[in-house]
Amino acid sequence: MTFTRFKVNAPTVTHETIDGEAVIINLESGCYYSLVGVGAMVWDLLYQHAPVNEIVTAIANTHAGDAAEIERAVTDLIQQLRAENLVVPDESETPLAQFSAAPNHNGHQKTAFRAPVLQKFTDMQELLLLDPIHDVDDMGWPKPNPEIGK
Amino acid sequence: MAAPQSAERNSFDASESSDRIAYFDATYELAQSAAPAVGGFINRTYTIAGLPVCLRFAGPALLSPITEAFQHLDVSHSSPLLTICIWDTASTGKKMPPPPWEGDDFLARGVIQGYNDDRIHTAFQHGSGAVNMLDAERNLAVFWVSSAEEMPYWEKGAPLRTILHWWLGRHQRQLVHAAAVGNSRGAVLIGGKGGSGKSTTALACLESDLLYLGDDYTVLKSDPFAMVYSLYNSAKINADNVERLPHLGEKISNPDRLDSEKALLFVHEHYPTQTVAELPVRAILLPRVTGLRETRLKKSPTAHALAALAPSTIFQLPRAGAEAFKFLAAIAKQVPCFTFEVGTDISGIPPAIEGLLAEVS
Repeated sequence: MTFTRFKVNAPTVTHETIDGEAVIINLESGCYYSLVGVGAMVWDLLYQHAPVNEIVTAIANTHAGDAAEIERAVTDLIQQLRAENLVVPDESETPLAQFSAAPNHNGHQKTAFRAPVLQKFTDMQELLLLDPIHDVDDMGWPKPNPEIGK
Repeated sequence: MAAPQSAERNSFDASESSDRIAYFDATYELAQSAAPAVGGFINRTYTIAGLPVCLRFAGPALLSPITEAFQHLDVSHSSPLLTICIWDTASTGKKMPPPPWEGDDFLARGVIQGYNDDRIHTAFQHGSGAVNMLDAERNLAVFWVSSAEEMPYWEKGAPLRTILHWWLGRHQRQLVHAAAVGNSRGAVLIGGKGGSGKSTTALACLESDLLYLGDDYTVLKSDPFAMVYSLYNSAKINADNVERLPHLGEKISNPDRLDSEKALLFVHEHYPTQTVAELPVRAILLPRVTGLRETRLKKSPTAHALAALAPSTIFQLPRAGAEAFKFLAAIAKQVPCFTFEVGTDISGIPPAIEGLLAEVS
């Protein structure tokens, strides 16, 4: 991964993490997403502008699993998030803020590592499709199309 | 017919804030000048989400199509905080000049590019052909449609939704795509996209002691605690679902058009004592049709409530975005969330909700 640090693609993307589950909306595409477990931890660390290597370390420190597998899974997830335009490279010069990983459910005990899965929902996308203008009235206003907005 | 070329359009160029205000003023003046030909203005002031809002009709043509959904709300005698001027061309003879913007300025959700800023809000609703404008600083809005006859049935069920969404958002309230029913203990908010079972759940409660706040759109306030307001007393059901709710059969307002429309009914007309203006929110239900006879409740993660409420609200409403998302997250964090497995025996729905309200209140 070329870039070492990413940030949430605001204001296009808005998000909230509640009880270990991140809900993420892309306001331009109409897609929304869910991340739980390791995925939600990675998301929260990205939100705090943590560098990728630090995110991998934080996950490895709190989860039991093969280090190489953890690194691959975390970087794969970040690439997916980037492909979905949810995060963008952070090339700012601002110094790193203190960041922290949310504690896992076992407190200080390591949790078994499970590769994060980005759940994507596209069922609202049609609401954002541009409404086609097929015909206009004699004053130039689009004629009503009752099929839109039912 | 092709859209008129730019040269035929009026002279507004909304590159400056003052231009947007001037266009709003011109549209507002048209509404004013439309009224005398049809007997002047007819005012109806309702308490909407706790706030007095005046609907100011240029003549009677749109009075019934728009006010039927608000009939359950208290008539307010306070000075209105918002006035919405409502007019049509067919009855008044007053034409709406051509739009001053180009075809590619119609953006997603009907937002008009160049005619929106912090103060002026402009959106075109393609389904009804309605122009919606709000001047948030003067608490003044304009709603125009070509004719009452062209208003689709669903617009009559949820009129002025865009303008109310904009304005209520500036008053610490959020219009939400969710149903709500409840009793003296409080309400359950029923979230989910179309077809998830919101309407069935809400309408199944009409033959019980539960009170009705809405089956599709309601209004929320989060501070100091989660509160849900009724907005419309209308209800829409898929025609093929009417059989499951036989108590509603004769109350449907459009029985002759069910081949092309959802069944629309106005709850207050038939259940006048069962509509209620506001209740505190005690829980969020996410209905799911299972095909099983029994209705069951299962605790669900809070994030699922947010995922059910936010996308279907935000992507329907012009200019809704991060603020609405944060607002709905704040609501979701305040109350427990449950998956509501809607049983085929709809008589089991009200007791399940009443039992839950007794448990969480």
